Amino acid sequence: MAANRDEPSKYVTLISNDGFEFVLLREATVVSPTIKAMLRDGRQWREATTGRCEFPDISGAVLEKVVEYFQYWYKNRDKLDVPDMDIPVEICLELLVAADYLGLDSKPPLPSHGA
Amino acid sequence: MASRANKMRPIRRPIMNREASEFEPCWILLRDALTDIHTKNAGRLSFEQLYRASYKIVLRKKGELLYDKVRTFEEEWFRDHIMPPISELITNTLVSVALFHPPASSMHERRQMSEKFLRGIRDSWEEHNMSMNMIADILMYLDRAYTAESKKPSIFATTIGLFRDHILRNSLGAVAQDFDQPYIVFDLLTAVTLDLINMERDGDIIDRSLLLKITSMLEDLYETDEEIDNQKLYTTIFEPKYIDNSRVFYRMECERLLRESNASTWLRHAQRRLNEEQDRCDTTLSISTADKIAKVVETELVSAKLDEFLALDGTGLKSMIDNDRIDDLTILYSLISRVDKTKHVLKNTLQTRVMELGLEIEQALKRTDFSAPVTVAGAADGDEAMEGGDKSKVQTLSAAAQQTAAAIKWVDDVLQLKDKFDTLWSTCFNQDLVLQSAVTKSFSEFINMFARSSEYVSLFIDDNLKRGIKGKTEDEVDIVLDKAIVLLRYLTDRDMFERYYQKHLARRLLHGKSEIHIEKEMVYRMKSEMGNHFTIKFEGMFKDMELSRDLTDNYRDHIRNLGDTDTRKVDLNINVLTTNNWPPEVMGRGSSQEEGAKMECIYPSAIKRLQESFFKYYLKDRSGRVLTWVSSAGTADIKCVFPKIPGKETGPLSKERRYELNVSTYGMIVLMLFNDLPVGESLGFEELQAKTNIPAPDLIRTLASLSVAPKARVLLKDPLTKNVKTTDKFSYNAQFVSKAIKIKAPTISNLSKVEGDDERKETEKKNDQTRAHVVDAAIVRIMKQRKQLTHTQLITEVITQLANRFKPEIPLIKKRIEDLLGREYLERVEGEASSYRYLA
Repeated sequence: MAANRDEPSKYVTLISNDGFEFVLLREATVVSPTIKAMLRDGRQWREATTGRCEFPDISGAVLEKVVEYFQYWYKNRDKLDVPDMDIPVEICLELLVAADYLGLDSKPPLPSHGA
Repeated sequence: MASRANKMRPIRRPIMNREASEFEPCWILLRDALTDIHTKNAGRLSFEQLYRASYKIVLRKKGELLYDKVRTFEEEWFRDHIMPPISELITNTLVSVALFHPPASSMHERRQMSEKFLRGIRDSWEEHNMSMNMIADILMYLDRAYTAESKKPSIFATTIGLFRDHILRNSLGAVAQDFDQPYIVFDLLTAVTLDLINMERDGDIIDRSLLLKITSMLEDLYETDEEIDNQKLYTTIFEPKYIDNSRVFYRMECERLLRESNASTWLRHAQRRLNEEQDRCDTTLSISTADKIAKVVETELVSAKLDEFLALDGTGLKSMIDNDRIDDLTILYSLISRVDKTKHVLKNTLQTRVMELGLEIEQALKRTDFSAPVTVAGAADGDEAMEGGDKSKVQTLSAAAQQTAAAIKWVDDVLQLKDKFDTLWSTCFNQDLVLQSAVTKSFSEFINMFARSSEYVSLFIDDNLKRGIKGKTEDEVDIVLDKAIVLLRYLTDRDMFERYYQKHLARRLLHGKSEIHIEKEMVYRMKSEMGNHFTIKFEGMFKDMELSRDLTDNYRDHIRNLGDTDTRKVDLNINVLTTNNWPPEVMGRGSSQEEGAKMECIYPSAIKRLQESFFKYYLKDRSGRVLTWVSSAGTADIKCVFPKIPGKETGPLSKERRYELNVSTYGMIVLMLFNDLPVGESLGFEELQAKTNIPAPDLIRTLASLSVAPKARVLLKDPLTKNVKTTDKFSYNAQFVSKAIKIKAPTISNLSKVEGDDERKETEKKNDQTRAHVVDAAIVRIMKQRKQLTHTQLITEVITQLANRFKPEIPLIKKRIEDLLGREYLERVEGEASSYRYLA
């Protein structure tokens, strides 16, 4: 991937509104069209250059679950019959909002325009 | 309506206000970002912040407002910042040069201007495209939540479409006011692009990647913001124009080539153009155009004037074939395969050419100086007689050989022609089956048009087996035999060939002129090629030869055991031939002898005794058989002594000379007569004939070989002319001298030569008789099996059955059916117009 050649790091940091930082594989985050666009090569947004994405609307507890999902998706992306992820009922609503924000609804990912 | 709306207001207003107050700061944030994006200052912007701003607006149900605001902003930006530089590029000169090609403009100038314009378009497109992508990214939530639901084109489609609406579809403005037609920038763009492509076609170097950028821009833009798949500007506008332009270009090019150039150049040119266009689609345009443009080139450059080019003198198809222009033909084949799956033109020309060349071989034969004997020349075609007439008198003796040479030449030429077309076929025509069968058909046609082909092919084999084989390796022999078989395959009148081959084979066998194992090999090949029935007679001949050899050996033993050595040492070597297997000519049943020559010739007593002795021996085991002596087919070795000539003290004449003379049986009979003749006396022709009872034509030949040819002139003829006449007198040549001990008297009748016309008519007549029997047999065979058939069915079946022997003519079959009806083998079926029933 061209992105990895320019970017020394394969990892990105996701930061919650209460200061929690989650470092994970860049590839694992592309399941979210929002983060994908944010980090897209050649656009030079601040997030793309620094490798740090802040989410002022998402709490650490929720972001942790989101990150867990990223990992879960990344690990199981080519597999069939994978176990369900455990979602605690307390953060359900907040998690839904975050998922919507990150474009993680069941709709197919939006087509990415041009190069 | 109004009252209702008023009713709702109290509830909504406070929310609207709150939302409105949140909209402004978010919009301002976004608006500034848009500006930054356009001015390439996005590096300091946080995507998340902008995304969140648009997210919030959409959540507050202000999506529509945002959509419109972005759109308006972009339109304004477009108007203020993007269009002005483009407008500057569109100068008066550019417009007039690009659209009207004034003759004054130099190519270089034009290219510079065009490329500058395109570069401007490209740069502004790339900027726009990039910005719109970024904007679409931060407004992603807008597209997802608002645009999709409200069935509007995505924000990207809307904003990218600005480029189409405001640049490409913009009129040329002030500069184009004078023209009657409302030109738009797109026209200019297309014209310039096509101009550049034509420049490249003319050999100029252009900026291919620039053009590729332009065409991929057209592929990214759609007719409308709905972005329907097959509505790309490239497909709807550019491609048709490109195709039209190319059509005109290649049409003109083709006409120019036809005027100024030759077929060879044209072929290479067309091939190069096809590759170029393919390449152009790969590197400059779109792959999707490749097939369409190839079609244009094929139609305009290849098909359009195909016939004219192929008919060109000197370089056209005819000369390609004649001069073996392998490369040209290879290209031609590949081009024609593209445009015409049936390869009609190529096929026809090849066929015509084969026919022409084949007939030329025949013409060449007539022109070549194979001065034929008067009898042949006189009866053959008129002009041949005119040409050959004078010389034939001078060279009568070698004429037969020359005629044979003509046959060999014909076969060689045909084989050469065949080789030539085979080579073309395998190297140039990709071993195309259609062409192969076409060429084969033509070969067969011209070979069979030549009336003497059967005879000539047989003569060719005869010549090769007689003279050629000795000293050749197995492989070489193989090649010769193969060639012969190749020709055989073309012959339709195989029964004619069979007849000739039988005759020639008989001569070879009886005179021991070929090697038996090669003869057998040849016959074996014919057998596998044409089937059993074809070679039955030949195999019978081989068998006769073998049996005869045994018989001769046994007879010799028998004589030795008898102890009867009194027979003046005549050694008998006999060939007993089965009547059916051998040609009638050899068997002495030829029609020329039929009239008066049924009688036996009168053998000398010594020979007579020998014959009787053998006959007795032969019948010991095989009672009831009849042996007929065929005096015309045998030879004899005679030991003769020429006594010393008195008075000659030096030179060869001073000694006694002993020679071994090989003559025909007739020759032997004649010479034996002179044995008893007192020195100095002579015998007249008629006297000789009376004493020997040899048919006159044979006697003439025999005497000619003994008294005219200098090599074996053991008889003196009076008067000393070259031709033997019935009034001549012959005497013993006591002064005969020869350097060789063994002398072979030239046996004129033995030479395999082309038949004279009379002879040939004779052969044909005989062949027709045989055919009649063969047809009879076929009809009876078929009817016996089928019991009842209609006329047409029967005819078809007969033709199929006989196909590999000869092509029976319909009238012949009809005649045979009539005959069989008369002989009550068949009867007409009553009530049905033309049906026959078999009568058992």
